[in-house]
Parts: sequence; structure tokens; C-alpha cells
Amino acid sequence: TAAAPRPWRLFGAMCLLRLPRITQPLEKEEEEMAALMGQIELEKSHYSDHEIRKLEEEEQLRRRKESMYDDDDEAPGKTVIMAQDLEDKWEQKLLQFKAAPRITDADKNNDRTSLNRKLDSNLMLLVKQKLGNQELWLLPQVEWQPGETLRSTAERAMATFLGDHIQAKILGNAPYGIYKYKFPRAIRTEDNVGAKVFFFKAFLQSSDFSQAELKEDYLWVTKDELGDYLKSEYLKKVNRFLLD
Amino acid sequence: DALVSCHRHYRSRPTHGIGRFKYLLPKEAPKKRKDKVQMKEINVGTEYEYGDVNIQMTSYDMCLVEHFAQYVHKLCNRLSIRVNESYAMPTKTNEVLFLEERGSKMQLDAVLTTHQRVVQISGLSSTFAPILLEVIQSNQPEGVHLLVKEHTEADFKSRLKSRPELEELLAQMN
Repeated sequence: TAAAPRPWRLFGAMCLLRLPRITQPLEKEEEEMAALMGQIELEKSHYSDHEIRKLEEEEQLRRRKESMYDDDDEAPGKTVIMAQDLEDKWEQKLLQFKAAPRITDADKNNDRTSLNRKLDSNLMLLVKQKLGNQELWLLPQVEWQPGETLRSTAERAMATFLGDHIQAKILGNAPYGIYKYKFPRAIRTEDNVGAKVFFFKAFLQSSDFSQAELKEDYLWVTKDELGDYLKSEYLKKVNRFLLD
Repeated sequence: DALVSCHRHYRSRPTHGIGRFKYLLPKEAPKKRKDKVQMKEINVGTEYEYGDVNIQMTSYDMCLVEHFAQYVHKLCNRLSIRVNESYAMPTKTNEVLFLEERGSKMQLDAVLTTHQRVVQISGLSSTFAPILLEVIQSNQPEGVHLLVKEHTEADFKSRLKSRPELEELLAQMN
């Protein structure tokens, strides 16, 4: 006989991660340590070529001022770029450069649907889905069809919610976590005892994609904010495979 | 003074040769000059195991790259992944010239050096590889490019220098 139909329904869920774009700010001890190490290195280091050149030129200038102004007639003949001029030029260039802000507008507004939010931590995609008669915040999941691998189920889940599945990269074929739950007694039949959800992880390669495809509500949240939206049991299993 | 501070006792003392240990170690074969080691493990199977994998890190800042390579090496040691080699590729120097054409042509130079470090790993199981990749990715410092690929002959050959005289002689022979 064929394999007996299993009582569990299988789902494949996708945890889409956006990797942090900036490093996290240093802790107090790390900052102090870095300052101390910088000081030690500065005191131990030797002069670089540029600094030696600068010192020599300063000495030449001083000698010219003290002695007679004979050497001065030669100087305008050759156009010598002094090291001090170079330094000034470089400083001006540095002042012209403006770094991008670390805390973007989306942070100030606390707009959880934009990707520009927390640039120094992982962001995960949460979608509002309807299971049975409940509307829940979940990682996007789709039911498994017999004949396809669980990984392709997860890719399909991503494709249904985002439209494009080229820009995210799944690393391996193995799932990262599993959450199983039993249906409430009212819906339970012989064939349908409960469901198992397998989680897969994928990384967003490029940050710009047209989010017009998303029909339902979606959110990009960090690990700490997951607790606001997910149920406790679900949250426990999801937290097990999330690195921070 | 240097003669008196020697700790080795004379032959007549009973404790002569007390610190000797080299004769206890197994004999090492004398080193040959040619290193043609090429190992490739099975890739397909029930247990997916990758062969030699190269993790290449490139950056302009040498300290960062070296520290990151050290970190990756120590991480693999802790996770009991076998590290075959960890070597550095030769640095590439780039000269950046600005051509400003306002009146007199000025050329401001900047000299950039690109450093590359490679950590070679073998014995990765495919269930563990994505976790390792994620850990390395999330701990990447700024300005460091990460590249993970399988070890090939071309990678091995890129470390060796070509010998034009030898090639000429070979061509003459054939």
C-alpha cells in the first residue's frame, strides 16, 4: 500500500533577513580600549615619509629666515609643493566629505515597514496571515505540496509575498527550526491532527525592490521587537535559530 | 660569564643529557622542494561534505584583514573544523591619479594597497556550512570583502611564480 497519509500538515516558512549595513557602536569599555591602544601605538610609532619631509622643510624655512636671503632668489625659480600645503589640501577635502547619517528618517518616525530602519542590526520580514479563522503575524509560510522539496516550498512562500525570489539567497537545504502545533479539537479530524512549520533562512542581497507586490500587511522587525508580534510558543522556537 | 651560565652539565655528571628529547620524537622525512599536494573530497553523497573551501578576505586596511583572518581561524579551531592552511596573497598596489584641469594640470596621487588573506578549510558538513557562513557574514568588519569558494587548481597555481626560462627550455625541447 502507499504510505499512510500522515496526520500532520506541513508548511514551509521563510525567515528573510536583511543583514546590517553599518557596524554597531562600540561599548564603553571597547571605546576606552581602542583609545588606549591608539595612544600606545602613536607613542611607539616612527615618523612616516610625509612627516619626515614636513620636518625637513620646516627646518629649511627656519634656516632661510635666519641666514641671509641668498637662497630666497632661487626658491621662486622652482615650484616646490610643500608638505604643509598638501596637508592643508587634504584637510579641506576631508571637510568637504559628508558621511551619510547613521540614524535615518525611518528610525525617527519608527516606521516599521521601511527597510532603512535599523542599519546596524538584522531585520526580519513578518506578514499577517490568516490561519483557520485567526489573523496572525507570522513569518511568511505556504503549505507543502507533495513532490517538492521543503526548500522550494520556502522559496514559493517568499515569491508569493515578494514577487521576486532572485534577490534573496538561501544558504543550505536543511531547515533551521521547526514549530509544530495541534489544531483545536473542533477542527481536528483523523487526517488533520496538526501542522508542522519548517523554517528556512535567507539573506537579502539587494535592498531595493518594489514592495508594491505585498498585498497584506508586512513589517520589518528586529529580534527584540519580535516579541511584540509573535505568540510566545512560536517566538520561542523562532528565537532558537536567530543569531544576533 | 657566558660559559658559567650554561645549564648543561658535563659528561662526568650523572645528570648529563638530562634535557634531551629529540631522539624520542618520530623521524621526519627530509623536506622536498616540490609541493604538489592536491586533495579533493567527495562532494556528492548522502552526507554532503565540501572539499577544500577557500575563504578569501580582501581589503585596503591590512590590520583589519589580518585580525579578521585570525578571528576566522580561531573560530574554526573552536568549532573543530580542520584548517589546512591560512596564507596571504601578494599585495596589489594601485596608484590613483586625479587629473584636475583648472588652468594648470595637477595630478594628485594616492597610493592604495590591496591586501588579501586566505583561510583554507576542509571537512565542512553541509548542515553546518550555512551557520558558519552566517556567523562570518554577521561579524564582517567594514571595508572587508568576503569571498567563499571551493579550492581549484587555478587557485593553487596563482600562488606559484611562473619561470620563463624553464618554459623556454621546455618549448625548445618540444
